[in-house]
Amino acid sequence: MNISKYLNKKQDSSSLAIFRLGFGFLMLYSTIRIWYKGWIRELYIDPSFHFSYYGFEWVKPIGDYTYLIFLLCAISSFFVAIGYKYRISIILLFLSFTYAELMDKTTYLNHYYLVSLISFLMIFFPANAKFSIDNLISKKSYEFIPKWNVDAIKLMICIVYFYAGIAKINSDWLIDAQPLKIWLTSKYDLPIFGGTLFQMDWVHVFFSWAGMFYDLLIAFILLYRRTRPFGFFLVITFHIMTAILFPAIGMFPYIMITSSIIFLEPQTHKKILDRVSSIFRKYFQKVSSISNYNFKKAKFSQTILVIFFSIQLLFPFRYFLYPGELFWNEQGYRFSWRVMLIEKKGFTEFKIVDGETSESFYVLNEEFLTEFQERQMSFQPDFILEYAHYLGDYYNNNGYNNVEVYAESYVTLNGRESKVFVDPNIDLMKEERGFSNKEWITELEDEIKGF
Amino acid sequence: MKHLYIKIFIALLVIVSCSKDSDEDYGQNSSQSNVQTTTNSSSGSTTGTTTGTSTGTTTGTSTGTTTGTTTDSSSSQGDTFDRGSILANYSENIIIPRYNTFKSSMDILKNSIETFVNSPNSDNYDALQTDWIDSYKKWQYVEVFNISKAEEIMYGLKMNTYPVSKERTDNNIDEGKTDLTNPNDWSAQGFPGLDYMLHGIGETKDAVIELYSSESKYGNYLLTLGSVMNENTIQVVDDWTTYKDVFNSSVDNTATSAFNMMVNDFVYYFEKGLRTNKIGIPAGRFSSTPLPDKIEAYYYSKNSFGNLSKTLALESRKGVEELFLGLNSDGVEGPSYKSYLDYLETEIGNSVKTKLEEATLSLNDLQDNFLTQIAENNTLMLVAFDALQTIVVNLKTDMLSNFNIAVDYTDADGD
Repeated sequence: MNISKYLNKKQDSSSLAIFRLGFGFLMLYSTIRIWYKGWIRELYIDPSFHFSYYGFEWVKPIGDYTYLIFLLCAISSFFVAIGYKYRISIILLFLSFTYAELMDKTTYLNHYYLVSLISFLMIFFPANAKFSIDNLISKKSYEFIPKWNVDAIKLMICIVYFYAGIAKINSDWLIDAQPLKIWLTSKYDLPIFGGTLFQMDWVHVFFSWAGMFYDLLIAFILLYRRTRPFGFFLVITFHIMTAILFPAIGMFPYIMITSSIIFLEPQTHKKILDRVSSIFRKYFQKVSSISNYNFKKAKFSQTILVIFFSIQLLFPFRYFLYPGELFWNEQGYRFSWRVMLIEKKGFTEFKIVDGETSESFYVLNEEFLTEFQERQMSFQPDFILEYAHYLGDYYNNNGYNNVEVYAESYVTLNGRESKVFVDPNIDLMKEERGFSNKEWITELEDEIKGF
Repeated sequence: MKHLYIKIFIALLVIVSCSKDSDEDYGQNSSQSNVQTTTNSSSGSTTGTTTGTSTGTTTGTSTGTTTGTTTDSSSSQGDTFDRGSILANYSENIIIPRYNTFKSSMDILKNSIETFVNSPNSDNYDALQTDWIDSYKKWQYVEVFNISKAEEIMYGLKMNTYPVSKERTDNNIDEGKTDLTNPNDWSAQGFPGLDYMLHGIGETKDAVIELYSSESKYGNYLLTLGSVMNENTIQVVDDWTTYKDVFNSSVDNTATSAFNMMVNDFVYYFEKGLRTNKIGIPAGRFSSTPLPDKIEAYYYSKNSFGNLSKTLALESRKGVEELFLGLNSDGVEGPSYKSYLDYLETEIGNSVKTKLEEATLSLNDLQDNFLTQIAENNTLMLVAFDALQTIVVNLKTDMLSNFNIAVDYTDADGD
């Protein structure tokens, strides 16, 4: 197929409109949920120290004004959903949500990253072409939009699933059935299956393999028309199951279920939208329907998307650039669709040494970190290093000189007995933050085969 | 056809969105983040004498039976581990008997306070001191149960926050204060408060008795401490008559279930209550120089009445061992964290059991008087610290990982 021919293909604008409605309202709900649960204060305002992404140290909570960021996020989500001043609303949603996400990496979640990526993509698409407030204002709506707009969103979802599947092709997951062995066994309180099936070894192995095949294949099952109804059934079953098994994954199942609506046939989208919009028909009487949306700056948008997807395809493999076991040192672990993949817990304390007097003492983490932060810090090397520098700077400014910081750290991975995680003889103040290999992390001393 | 599966989809979405959030209510997050320290000094007897004979007061049905299963399931195939049996064993054979024992000693302590205040003489002083020591030792077994009423009224912090605040206590004595619910008063009551009232307001026994004879404000505050401690204890212990059934059946893997909270209490107490407060802080592990005045039962040692810090540390270690192994009053192992770890086919349970025994040896190597131990050979204190530290590592990483205890109120997708 010829590329320019493909780029000229049309699709019913209902597809994007439906997706816009689903995504907008889901984001509105997510934001209200975070607010309602008190997490804005607990996670962003109360802690005195925040873990930053390298290069984004300037993104910080802004005291009580942090609520305004989430307010902006909620309002722009709502405007996106109803299609009011769509372009500016989706840009504001992307910026406010991404800012909130970058404020503290303790709260890193793969689906937050997905939300940022999808809202970035949506900036380039005319999702307000149909059934939007913008239509009422301009008195114009459009029946068709370029097919590649819809396909870009599908591609994004496909990448998420397929890469999540690749990540599961490893010996811990498939052979030892870890960490599902730990996780399922601990779900003894679920009715019927909890105390029986979930305690059995073969069930752990079965779930592991089923999870891998689901992730690898679901995108293809959804893409082909014949298997699509079955795929949709699988999506719902699988994600509802994960929601029940792992309540802590929060909104992830709902975001994936909602996103998969994009895979339905355009006629189905149109039928749904017609059904919904019939209630509001009288408002749309003065809106004149135009056939094709006139996509401006198509070349520019297409160039951005090509760059965007090239990065998306390559970025998850950056861990090849680092020696050692990825699950242990986590160099190149995040932003790569490794969702619910490993079970890791750590215990890490820091020794402060005054370089001039050789006085030394250990830090009580509770004086600087919340429980949640301490738990996350204890097994993730970049957290450990950032916190070590924070402690070193703090004590340099509070009566000590040439402070050296050493970590006493133990980590357990996928049920292996805990072992020393950080070389206790390395002064972490001398180690730079950044993307270079962290040689101060110990070896796992066990081989995990596969990706 | 299409309508059908859209309808099913929407119906399922509704069902799920209603069903899911229930598990993650966000709640009392860090009620445990205060430093709690408590100690006491008894004339340096080596190990504790207070093993679990439950003086049969009201609720104490110490039915030495270990309900349910089983520690021996070597394979996880098919048979399931009954977590309720752990809770039943804990509540019936450990928590309630230990609380009843403590409550009786608390009654006796309150009486001897009253007797002493009525006639402050040498004999009554000695009797009071003995009862304070006995009660303080029994306290070491119950501080870890920071659940239900105990958590609600901050029982542990009120009973054993140390070091005691001399300034605050002196103030309260002068003011004749009787309401000690303000958090600032936590360090002016409980066992450390009594320590100060018995061994700190004067440097010798005669000097202390003289103060009680000459000024009523001392006696009044001592009476207040006794009755506040006793009232709090009655509240907490009585609560267990009704709470026991709730406790025994709350086995869910959720942040608010009794099973999970008890695991967290246990790990928290081991790390903070035992490791950090009794050994770590006085030994200067967390400061550039040792802080001997932060030992448990400080005034008792400081003014040479006797030594209790080591005894209390040993009692406390025994208490966590009892809980970890599920020991009943005859010292027989029952359903416990240890047996649960065995069921999960990890060696951690045995490893911790051995390390708990080794920790006894390191603690026994210490002098009865922690003040001189720290001054003369603090290295031994740090050795004892390390012996406890290695257990904390196993509990906080391996045990919590294998139990997969839900502690997060916030979302996390497992990385």
